[in-house]
Amino acid sequence: MREFLLLIRSEEEPKASLSPEQMQQHIEKIGGYLKKLTEEGRMKSAQPLEMEGTMLSYKNGQIVDGPYNETKEIISGYYHLLAENLDEAIAIAKQDPRFEEGIWRMEVRPIKHVEGIN
Amino acid sequence: MSNSNLTQSQELTTHFFRNEYGKLVAVITGYLGTENIETAEDIVQEALLKATEHWEMRGIPENPKAWLYTTAKNITLNILKRKKYQREYTNTIQRPRLDETFSFSEEIIEDSQLKMMFSCCHPSIAENSQIALILKILSGLSIAEIANAFFSNEQTINKRLVRGRKQMRNVVIDLKSKNVIEERLDSVLKTIYLIFTEGYFPSHKNNVIRFDLCLESIRLVKLLTESINIKNKTDCYALLALMYFNISRFNSRVSSEGEIIDLKEQDRSKWDSQLIQSGTQYLDRITQGNTISKYSILATISANHCISMSYEKTNWTEILSLYDQLLLLEDSPIVHLNRIVAFSEVEGNKKAIEELLQLEARSDIANYYLYHFTLAELYKKCSQLKKAQQCYKQALNLASNDRDKELLQKKIKKLVLIPPSQLS
Repeated sequence: MREFLLLIRSEEEPKASLSPEQMQQHIEKIGGYLKKLTEEGRMKSAQPLEMEGTMLSYKNGQIVDGPYNETKEIISGYYHLLAENLDEAIAIAKQDPRFEEGIWRMEVRPIKHVEGIN
Repeated sequence: MSNSNLTQSQELTTHFFRNEYGKLVAVITGYLGTENIETAEDIVQEALLKATEHWEMRGIPENPKAWLYTTAKNITLNILKRKKYQREYTNTIQRPRLDETFSFSEEIIEDSQLKMMFSCCHPSIAENSQIALILKILSGLSIAEIANAFFSNEQTINKRLVRGRKQMRNVVIDLKSKNVIEERLDSVLKTIYLIFTEGYFPSHKNNVIRFDLCLESIRLVKLLTESINIKNKTDCYALLALMYFNISRFNSRVSSEGEIIDLKEQDRSKWDSQLIQSGTQYLDRITQGNTISKYSILATISANHCISMSYEKTNWTEILSLYDQLLLLEDSPIVHLNRIVAFSEVEGNKKAIEELLQLEARSDIANYYLYHFTLAELYKKCSQLKKAQQCYKQALNLASNDRDKELLQKKIKKLVLIPPSQLS
């Protein structure tokens, strides 16, 4: 089994325009999906990220704020999961019910394995 | 997230978010004032959003209500710290203060919801705005969902809401004043019944949301029956009985092909016996007393249909006499019109046509499309197809929404007639 980091990206807050009923459906669908992965032992961790926070960079000998993305896209959460290979990780990602709402993007990246470190 | 969190995650009750939305907006509006009702709606939407973000990943917490209430309270307190509100807030003396120690007790929630219901149905607010306000604020439906259920569009519904919120600014409801509650209960029930009727309209479109609308109407009346502020609940029970009897037939009225099925042709084994039983229980509660009201008569009429083994075996004489009683309470052209089907079953179609033509001569019922629709039906039964067609066309000219027009066009095409909605 290899480890993967799935970065959930969205523009602003796609859930903000959902009705209360749709929000509940969203929770129930995604909760069910994550629960299944957890029970299968594949999901190591899943966390939402707050909308606030900052970007830091090193410029001219000091750490400064920014630069920020030109688009409004932001990482709104991540999954840390186990899969046989990249194809399987992608297949799992594709099953995420949030895509039914059509306003999400997901980046699937294998975690680099370094002998003796992780 | 630890793995165990999600596997132990709780389940939410049906419509949890919608119902809690209604409770929270009602309570928070009590503190911000009806002039800030939109702010209250935004606060609650934000609290629900926060819950969604956390719960989708971490699972639903052990006490989702408490989680939601604390979040909503904190957002409200943050907003109150803003200068604009601080100034307004300290200027209003009578209004209760919301602070860190505040907790959402069942009593506060119940009173706030009741107050909100009476505010939304205040006579100074237009009827269609009342309906939109109730559904948006107390039932937690989005504008899109209301538009969908009402075969309308978002722009129209939003206009009604904006107008309604404006008119609501001046509304003050005192729950402790018995007179206010007694006097206004009727208009609250009337608005809820309109919501029910809209949801109950036979159509294959948007069936799920319209069934929801019927259930929601029942929930709203139940909130009234649970309140200690309302002393005389006879009308509430009668309306509940009526709604339960009607909704028991909901699923038998439309075929799998989306065609509307006449009461006469419905498969009565599909009627929901549990819902009929609930209706009977509420009807029993009111027959113990001896007050007769519009809703108790309508409920008894509906009960008569529900308990009849077949259309032919329906006790039309009893139903007709109930309509006659209703006329004593409310001598309106609409009641006369609704009475006609029962009248035609007892006295024959020809007499029914005469009766309708007399009604037309002495009232303005001819402006109403269902009058021509009913007349068309009777002509059809008498095999006067030409006249039937004319009446259908007249109904089509008068029908105001696309849903009714579509229905009528189908009728004209097929000249196979179904009775108006109250009989389906």
